[in-house]
Amino acid sequence: MGTETELRFLQTICLPFLRSAQNPDGGWGFQPGSESRPEPTSWALQALIQSSWPEIPEPAARAFQFIRRTQLPNGSWPPIPGAKTGCWVTALTCWALLAEENSANAVAMGLDWLCKEWPQDSTPWRRLLATFSSQRGIFPINNSYRGWSWTPGTSSWVEPTAFGLLALGACPAALLPAAAGRRRKLAELMLYDRMCPGGGWNCGNPLVYGVAGESMVIPTAWALLALGNQPQRSENVLSVDWLERNVANIDGPGSLALARLCLEVYGRKWPSNAPELSDYYKKNEFLRNVQIAAWVSLALGTKRHFLPAQLASTETP
Amino acid sequence: MNARNTELVPSFQRPVSKVLIRRAANYQENLASLIHESLCEFHLPVKDKTVLLKPNLVGLDPLGVMNTHPAVIAAARESFLRLGASQVLIGDGPAMDRDTEAIIESVRLREFVGPLARTFVDLNVDDVEEVVLKTQASRLKELYLPKTVLGVDFLVSMPKLKTHHWAGVTLSLKNMFGVVPGSCYGWPKNILHWAGIDRAILDIIAAVRPDFAIVDGIMGMEGNGPIQGTPKACGVLLFGDDPVAVDATSCRVMGLNPVKFKYLARAGTLLGHLGAEKIQQGGESIASVRKPFAVLEAFRHVLE
Repeated sequence: MGTETELRFLQTICLPFLRSAQNPDGGWGFQPGSESRPEPTSWALQALIQSSWPEIPEPAARAFQFIRRTQLPNGSWPPIPGAKTGCWVTALTCWALLAEENSANAVAMGLDWLCKEWPQDSTPWRRLLATFSSQRGIFPINNSYRGWSWTPGTSSWVEPTAFGLLALGACPAALLPAAAGRRRKLAELMLYDRMCPGGGWNCGNPLVYGVAGESMVIPTAWALLALGNQPQRSENVLSVDWLERNVANIDGPGSLALARLCLEVYGRKWPSNAPELSDYYKKNEFLRNVQIAAWVSLALGTKRHFLPAQLASTETP
Repeated sequence: MNARNTELVPSFQRPVSKVLIRRAANYQENLASLIHESLCEFHLPVKDKTVLLKPNLVGLDPLGVMNTHPAVIAAARESFLRLGASQVLIGDGPAMDRDTEAIIESVRLREFVGPLARTFVDLNVDDVEEVVLKTQASRLKELYLPKTVLGVDFLVSMPKLKTHHWAGVTLSLKNMFGVVPGSCYGWPKNILHWAGIDRAILDIIAAVRPDFAIVDGIMGMEGNGPIQGTPKACGVLLFGDDPVAVDATSCRVMGLNPVKFKYLARAGTLLGHLGAEKIQQGGESIASVRKPFAVLEAFRHVLE
């Protein structure tokens, strides 16, 4: 649970910032005054809902409508309204819409698209080609494990895979597509395969030209949350240890917020030498980034209903 | 929206380009004076204009060997303001890490530039506009690009002098990958890799050709760049009004043959000058500052 200072920071800075940044169309842009988009809207929505749980705050109703309006006919969501191709944002919008019963159909369609959307690097044809590639030693990864890509027709990466797992993990069984179980299993295997040698994850390159990739906080936090159903597994423990060791050196509020959320979910004590999120606001005002303010709000809040059930049980009193 | 003239001009119709090489032994030198004096030689049309500096910010870099150094960025900003620019913004969209603030804090940009909340533009999350690509060198037909980049009067690419494990070198052209917004294409911007890095670079440059380039070659990176390479002290800054010519000259300083890089060779036909005979060389001679860079085995053919 946050300190008194942190809770005051949440109530007087972060949540008012989010509320005031909502656009008349019900959505949020990445900055106050910028054009509404599904991704920042999903994050802001999650933060505001958690802050008043179990009440659904008034701004949320307009945000739900904005998100539903931007869904494409095939069930997916594009990164910006009007774009014709869905992407990773689909997992985030579905995850956010789970808080509203009226959106069940939209969620079911979205998750169905998600489960039918395969990364391009690991198709059987690509895997066959890869066996003859002179570059197969550069990225020694098992591409029979398949997660999700950022955009269609590209490769699996850690964060969109984690988002897919979290959306499917938070979804009631009745809304899950038939392929969800298989996709989750393949995606979990893919994440474990992409872990950096010393624990933690980067965007998805654990080893390049024989050199170990450096882990990064944000992909590590999302991967650990997505794999939270196996907290005692050695890879999870190694990666949580990595995250805990690196908290004191985190330079950005987005990373710090997600590290805090993740360590709390894994039952680790927040290190006493960790930087303060409110101090980071004084530096650059989070670059006026709605998504960052939402992550900070989720980290400092006391409710965890947005997480899959087994992770939400770590909710602070 | 597009305030700048980005019309494509075949290189044979382009006037001679100008590139200037200056020595700067380290980042503690008076870079503001050095950069201001260098910019003055180009008579740049920046009075009362909005300038965007696009440094190369690729990752957490407390040692200052991976990203364009903040001392160079701050000195360039100060110099453009002295030249009469009404506003000088700094913007980038890092490709591998969506925590842009962590990157700019790790490089201590705020210490050099001051408060960043309204000076720095995270191009990954800027408002975007769909741009139909003129060249379609790759299979991309259009890209969403940041409105800030499309709307400024004067765009400056500010790369670090580095080798790159996919493109061979990353200089002022490759640096423009950073304008492609992560919020539309992800982290990394994998769609560009699938489209072909060499060809995607051409498409991006044809859409948002920088008006000027300043290369931070005080400390470069060789080998397995752009992140895991070896620091390489070169002690130079390069300036130029043609990004292709600046990159070609940078390659020659690095002991690399620019014609051997596919994207540079193609850029030399439509986007600027590659040949030394079409580049007016000022300041230090290439020979006097030349520091051969180590390259990965896959790029041995580019060595001069």
